[in-house]
Amino acid sequence: MAWKFDNPLVSLADDQQNAAARGVWEGESLGGITEDNNRLPVPVVGLLILTIVTSFLVTFPLWGQRPTAALYEDYIALMDSPQVQALPDDAKRMQYIVDTVRAKGTAKQPQLDRHPLSMDDLRLIQGQVVELQRQGARMEEFTVLGNRLVLANFEGNWRADGTRERVQPWWDKGYTIDVFYIIAFCVSVIVVVKRLPPYTWQPKHKH
Amino acid sequence: MAFREYKIGSRMFAFALGSSMMITLYFPSKDIASVQATETALNRQLSFGRIGGFSVEDPFLKGQGKPVTVYLNKDPKTGSPIEPVTAYVYPVGVPFPSGLRHPRILGAGVKDLSLGQGRIADAKESSGAVFVVSAAGFNGKTLSYIENATATRGWQPSEALAAAGDANSRYIGSGKIMFVREGCWWCHTLLPEETQDWQYFGAPPMLGDFNGESPTAFGSDRKAPDLLHVASRNSSREWMTMHFYNPRLVQTHSIMPRYDYLWGEKDAAGNKIDYDKWRAEYNEYIAGKRVYAPEVPQPAAESEARKLIDFVMALK
Amino acid sequence: MLKYLFSKEEDIPPGTAAIFFGFSSIVWFVLGTGLGSFNAAKLAFPDFVTGIELLSFGHMRQVHVLAVILGWISMAFAMTMMYITPALGNTKLWSEKLGVWNCFLWNIGLGLGLFLLWNGVSSGREYSDMPWFIDLVVIFGVLFPLGINVWMTIKNRRTQGIYTTNWFFGAATFMVIVVFLVGNMPEFFNLTGLTEAYLTWWFAHNVLGLWITPVAAAISYYVVPKVTGNPLYSHRIGHLHFWSVVVFYSTPAAHHLMSAPLPEWLKSFASVEGVLILVPAIAFVSNLLLTMHGKWRMFVENVEIKYTITGVLLAIPLNMQGGFQQTRAINWYVHGTGWIVAHAHLALLGFSTFLEAAAVYYGLQVLLRRKVYSLSLANFHFWMLLIGFSTYWISMTIAGLIQGAGKIYEVPYIDVVIAEHPYMIARWVGGTMVFIGNVVWMYNMWMTARAGTPIPAGRLPHELAYER
Repeated sequence: MAWKFDNPLVSLADDQQNAAARGVWEGESLGGITEDNNRLPVPVVGLLILTIVTSFLVTFPLWGQRPTAALYEDYIALMDSPQVQALPDDAKRMQYIVDTVRAKGTAKQPQLDRHPLSMDDLRLIQGQVVELQRQGARMEEFTVLGNRLVLANFEGNWRADGTRERVQPWWDKGYTIDVFYIIAFCVSVIVVVKRLPPYTWQPKHKH
Repeated sequence: MAFREYKIGSRMFAFALGSSMMITLYFPSKDIASVQATETALNRQLSFGRIGGFSVEDPFLKGQGKPVTVYLNKDPKTGSPIEPVTAYVYPVGVPFPSGLRHPRILGAGVKDLSLGQGRIADAKESSGAVFVVSAAGFNGKTLSYIENATATRGWQPSEALAAAGDANSRYIGSGKIMFVREGCWWCHTLLPEETQDWQYFGAPPMLGDFNGESPTAFGSDRKAPDLLHVASRNSSREWMTMHFYNPRLVQTHSIMPRYDYLWGEKDAAGNKIDYDKWRAEYNEYIAGKRVYAPEVPQPAAESEARKLIDFVMALK
Repeated sequence: MLKYLFSKEEDIPPGTAAIFFGFSSIVWFVLGTGLGSFNAAKLAFPDFVTGIELLSFGHMRQVHVLAVILGWISMAFAMTMMYITPALGNTKLWSEKLGVWNCFLWNIGLGLGLFLLWNGVSSGREYSDMPWFIDLVVIFGVLFPLGINVWMTIKNRRTQGIYTTNWFFGAATFMVIVVFLVGNMPEFFNLTGLTEAYLTWWFAHNVLGLWITPVAAAISYYVVPKVTGNPLYSHRIGHLHFWSVVVFYSTPAAHHLMSAPLPEWLKSFASVEGVLILVPAIAFVSNLLLTMHGKWRMFVENVEIKYTITGVLLAIPLNMQGGFQQTRAINWYVHGTGWIVAHAHLALLGFSTFLEAAAVYYGLQVLLRRKVYSLSLANFHFWMLLIGFSTYWISMTIAGLIQGAGKIYEVPYIDVVIAEHPYMIARWVGGTMVFIGNVVWMYNMWMTARAGTPIPAGRLPHELAYER
């Protein structure tokens, strides 16, 4: 195998190897069924690249996540405020809280929309959220499970202090392995395919 | 043979398959092996026994060679009242679950406590043992561990069974065999999903909830409610009994099969169950010729129906 | 058959093993789809045949699944390997006798395994539910002899090149043995907990990914060029297909457990790899469709091409579903619903069955040297399969979306059951059509052996005019 630096992608095989391969290809019908030496059509190459890009974009864990305690911190902070207390019933109170947080603007808004709750739900978790805040816990690591807050069910990277990240990351070592794995795949396929005669040459099939 | 790509191809093949196996088998196995067993995992494996499917001790899945779960409120040795405790009785010869055979899979901490304070290494299948799940501090954290009550408290399996009596004994391990054999898991999953699903079916399991259990029987094709926490949603044994006998007695639109055949020959009172008569009466009831559905026989203590109900009622 | 078990190798006519495998596979297909239809009837009408333990849904469901996978699909694979591998190597099968024994042991072992499963003797693991001693029979009595025959035939070939189909055959027989050995470790060594759950799905994923999908594709790499007379469009794309199957199809096992407490990085990794299953799919579909260039009339006129190209076209929705339904974005909605059941049937009854049926039709005609008894019946079979399958697929997809909505919006489960009922009936109708089509097929192939028009030497079956 000789790498031609001036024209690396034409062939990794030398002329002699190519000539031998062509000779064999011409000389027999490869087990009864001839094969053509066509390249991958350009639209198909485009489709493959699109697939690889899509595969990362579409797998990030942005959907279907459970609500975390951090989501509702703003709600709970507002709960006991005089403005909220002054309102006549729970529905209006909740509406006021939601509107206020929305008006303030938060990056968590899409998740808040996906996980709406009632004033009663808030009351159930209020004490636990306040207790966790007092302990200085990482709020995004606690999942709201009905009336309970539990440590999230994820085991991410180790932190320096020996604890584990419990937030689903948008990027983790799974993706990193993927990147290397895909690169290895592409390189290997190119190496294997480049051992064939160049696609500019077509076999003459003799049946 | 010196043609084209076969030499490099076969090496590439070995490399590709090898790295794929490395990533999908070796890496995850290291991660999963480091998971610490939770209290749930200890309770589950102790109540289920060694294997929940085909095994040499139970080749035809009759529920043999499985432990009995008992609720004790008096010390089986002395007879004095104690705090109510759930004990797992392994009569002589009943195989121990994996966590006792290979304490390593319980994870760090749980393993140390079980071997140290729990004295599980002293338990022998040949003489039977009684286990309970206890908790103790380990490196500043409270962990659950398995305690060999035969060694620590002197409880003998036969004494524990006698102290509990049939009313406080549950054949959960045998029931799981029925669950697998009858294919309940083809429709009922045991896995509330990690998304909104849990609001209806209860909390999804945690990482360490399955250590030592086999098969986990999560199920994949849910045609019926998830059962991981079913007994928390519905704790009525009467409802379960009717529902197993003929689901359409309590849930008109159910598509679950009838499991009346698990009642066997005789009911709890020892009377022969007349299935033909029951079905004829039920058909009359469906046709509107009877006001009430026929009475569902109580399953006998030894019946498979009782064991299956024991298992389902233990899914909390 | 029995007389050939103890004959001398040279007394067994070439093709015997393939013919036995072919007819066995058809019988298992009829049996498997009959069970499927029966099970579907039970889901639609729960009191249909009730109160008998052996005829309850929980006892029959896994028998249907494994009869179809290990009986129909895998035996059809063995059949095609027994005649395509030597044909492509310009040689004879390495050992016809081993092939006959293989077929014999396969039928016995599978019959025994299914009988036990039917009686409830199960390991409680989906797809690997046979008890471990049956797994050992499958590995050493079924897959290993098959592999030996394929590998030795390829080694003893009288051509220099190895055609694409034979790469797949050789590699897939090897990989499926690895998959059975590794995937059944939870039973061999009583592995427990998440390891057990993960390996169960590792097995289920890879038995599809490294056995059924590549072998089915390999078959069509033979049938299309052979019947149309066109050379395969590209050897290079064949390479891309082969390598991407090995690399991308062997890795995403964890995507079956996206909602289980597995390590998150494993899910991320598997999910990306799962989308990349589209790479072999794109390579496969484009290569085959480009090979059809100039011969598209055969898609209408020729029954084998009709089956094969239908299967190839079904690979497009199959892989679009398969690639995307396992991502976190979609999986939370469809996981565990009828959508997945529809997808599984698209893979096994749509894509794979159509490719194999073509090869079994073609192979039996070539080996028996007889033209198929009735093309009308073959076409009837095709349309029963296609319409029956489509009915099933569409109804289960809709049912799955209903279930998904019920899951996410927390609808009481019984309301989902009620809403699904019409689709359960449609599923039963579709499954029954497939079953009836297969009974017709069995009759047609039997009559082909008895009364089909003989094919003169040197001619291909589809070159003969239709007589009946």
